[in-house]
Amino acid sequence: MFLHDLKLALRSLLRTPGLTALTAGAIACGIGATMVTLTLYHARAGHPIWWKEDQLFAVTLDTRGPEQRGPQGPHPEYPPFLVTYRDAKALYRSAIPTRSVMMFRSTRVVEPQRVGLKPFSATVRVTTADFFPMFDVPFLYGAGWARAADEGPDPVVVLGRHLNDKLFGGADSVGKLIDLSGHEFRVVGVIDNWMPQPKFYDLNTGSFDVPEDLYMPFGWTTAMKLDVAGNVNCVTPTARVSSFNDLLTQDCVWLQYWVEMPTVAQQQRFQAFVDNYVRDQKQYGRFIRPLNNRIVNVTTWLAMNNVIGDESRLQVGLAGLFLAVCILNTLGLMLAKFLSGAPVIGLRRALGASRRDIVRQHLTEVVVIGVLGGFGGIALSWLGLAAIRLLTYIPALDDNPGHLAIAQALSHMDVTMLAVAVLISVLTGIVAGLYPAWRIGRMEPALFLKSQ
Amino acid sequence: METRSLVKALWRSRTGPILIAVQIAIALAVLVNIAYIVAGRIETYRRPTGIDVHNIFWVTSQGFATDYDQSLAVRTDLAYLNGLPGVIAAAASATLPQGIGGIGLPFASTPEDLRAPKAGGAVLLMTDRGLDALGVKLIAGRAPHADDTSAPADMMSAIGRWAPEVAITSLLAHKLFPRGDALGRTLYAGLINRPAKIVGIVERMQTQPVSGPFSDFAESVVFVPGVPAGPSALYIVRTQPGRRAEVMAEVERSLADKVPGRYIEHMETLDQTASNTRNWLRSSSIILGAVALLVLAVTAIGIFGLAAFNVATRTRQIGTRRAVGARRHQILKYFLLENWLITTAGVVVGCILALALGARLSVMFQLPRLPLYYLAVGVVALWLLGLGATLMPARKASSVAPAIATRTV
Repeated sequence: MFLHDLKLALRSLLRTPGLTALTAGAIACGIGATMVTLTLYHARAGHPIWWKEDQLFAVTLDTRGPEQRGPQGPHPEYPPFLVTYRDAKALYRSAIPTRSVMMFRSTRVVEPQRVGLKPFSATVRVTTADFFPMFDVPFLYGAGWARAADEGPDPVVVLGRHLNDKLFGGADSVGKLIDLSGHEFRVVGVIDNWMPQPKFYDLNTGSFDVPEDLYMPFGWTTAMKLDVAGNVNCVTPTARVSSFNDLLTQDCVWLQYWVEMPTVAQQQRFQAFVDNYVRDQKQYGRFIRPLNNRIVNVTTWLAMNNVIGDESRLQVGLAGLFLAVCILNTLGLMLAKFLSGAPVIGLRRALGASRRDIVRQHLTEVVVIGVLGGFGGIALSWLGLAAIRLLTYIPALDDNPGHLAIAQALSHMDVTMLAVAVLISVLTGIVAGLYPAWRIGRMEPALFLKSQ
Repeated sequence: METRSLVKALWRSRTGPILIAVQIAIALAVLVNIAYIVAGRIETYRRPTGIDVHNIFWVTSQGFATDYDQSLAVRTDLAYLNGLPGVIAAAASATLPQGIGGIGLPFASTPEDLRAPKAGGAVLLMTDRGLDALGVKLIAGRAPHADDTSAPADMMSAIGRWAPEVAITSLLAHKLFPRGDALGRTLYAGLINRPAKIVGIVERMQTQPVSGPFSDFAESVVFVPGVPAGPSALYIVRTQPGRRAEVMAEVERSLADKVPGRYIEHMETLDQTASNTRNWLRSSSIILGAVALLVLAVTAIGIFGLAAFNVATRTRQIGTRRAVGARRHQILKYFLLENWLITTAGVVVGCILALALGARLSVMFQLPRLPLYYLAVGVVALWLLGLGATLMPARKASSVAPAIATRTV
């Protein structure tokens, strides 16, 4: 029966090749545009550490002064996304969270011992020891450092895989020494392939970026007076900054602060701890705004940082509207076509075809168009994504292959999206076909025969 | 008269026309809003920078040796770069204009105002010949000069050191001193809490291509003379027109050896940088523009399809009307009018839809409300699109022979 319907549908479609091409073409454009934008959206909407959704929390404190300087963002109620050095140090003393991390991004010059390799600058994550177990960072060789190494600070580093490949040809470099801006550091670990996207733990230099080249203990911040390679925002009008040391004492935010708290009890106690700390600081004239300390999980954090981006939302919305236009279009054209074939339908009804047969036959025809359009749409979206890769391509300043991988991942149609494409095209066919098929099935056979 | 019977006829088979009207409504809403957003982005893309980008390149170096001396390196490099044939001026800068990132401070015209500063702006910390190296136009006063040519310990100290005199853009001058007497007055910088005498006014300079509420910030620039902190150094080099490539080749060959203990990291033309920073404006406009064109194309196909269908199914009636005396142009008019009514119904709904979508987008992208003339142009465009798409089927209708009426279809 299905085959019979299909045969009828194909015959009918081939009878009006121009109309078939127009409707299938319109559907293909609609599905193509929708799939391109959905793919871009989907690629930005990932949760890179979903298994720790209820355990990892970003900590934000409302350090701001009384008045917002400069133009307001769309969410003036959010506290700054980074914390000050003194607050980070104070929070770090709390033993409530199972793990705590304060960190920032910096740069150092690597002076390789390997012959033929010139010095180059590398990005550095300056962090406390819990970073590696907290974010489930996989190690290729060795491991991270102990908390005591942060205090020292011990001259130890963990290398990213790319840097280890570059410096040591991918060999086990644990125990080897490397020279960073004139200081010797000992390698204690090498990270395996690890590229959480979005780079949730530090979004302030771009949501989709490669992890830092190497990692060093937090104590080096002051020991080496490390520059911040990221935002430094002095959030009160009374802040005074004219040297590196002012960064440590003034109300300037530049650190990321994360905690791991598996139990609800910990979460409540830590929120209370943070609120109490802020209340206590108020007596020194700090934190003059009402309590607004947000300790948020990764999903909320990504949403607050608008990682998906309004642009991506806009594109999906507009493409959806476009698909609606395409569906209405097909609906109208199919209705017109079916109605013009009404006399034949009347004849078939009179000869004994049931109402359901007629509806099913016509629905099949539209679903065939939907599927044809779907295939066309998937092909178009591949082309569209390739065009977008070309349009948005900016060569990276360093040789890390991760940049290219991210660029590709951000415009890659995965199996999920392929399934979504098929689903959308079938749904499109059904939505566009339901009304015309129902309408044609509802007609009284006598009406058609009479009008002839 | 004719219009009434036409509306009645339309109402009797209303599904098709309603579908088309809804399509037109959505198309109008999408078209108008995309046009508005893209127009804003094109404006940002094209906004003059005030900088001679086509004759400028930049080069960065990184000191790595423990005995690397930033003051010496900057002095040596600038002496070399400024001495090269073809170079107009070279200067070291703490930040890259037209690149990503920068330094911003609040500014005021009195120390009291610093508690609630009205103006924020970008700080451009450059060595003495900075204005020449950028090619910005000085419209009053002179370029600021710093006596201290030693390099500060770090970025924060470099800003903290400040300078006794600065130049500012006319936009900032106007904001702080609306009476136009900025030259010679004192500028107070928040955060570092330092004053400086304004010795020069620059016509225009934009640090970054940003739009909306931030564009003022990027064009309120304070030029602070001074040496940027090491160990990295960024040189901005402006050459005579047409000689940039030649100078770049020369710099590539010999700059590295001028100072020991450092390496040359990256060299790029400033128009390349400016183009990279603007890339998203370009690519997003193309994507949105493509969606708008597709919406228009599909809508046109829909209108055409419906009109063609109507003509095909009404051939006999048209023949009859012709037979009883209707002229060709009356038939043509009938179909065009019918379509015009459908389009009009569509654009009326579309206007409401466009305003609703516009209100949503203006919140999302912090844009001013959708100006009404965009709507007016959109309505006219869709009317024309509707008429254009109906023209062919309508002409076919008008060429139906009266004799058709006597035959069975």
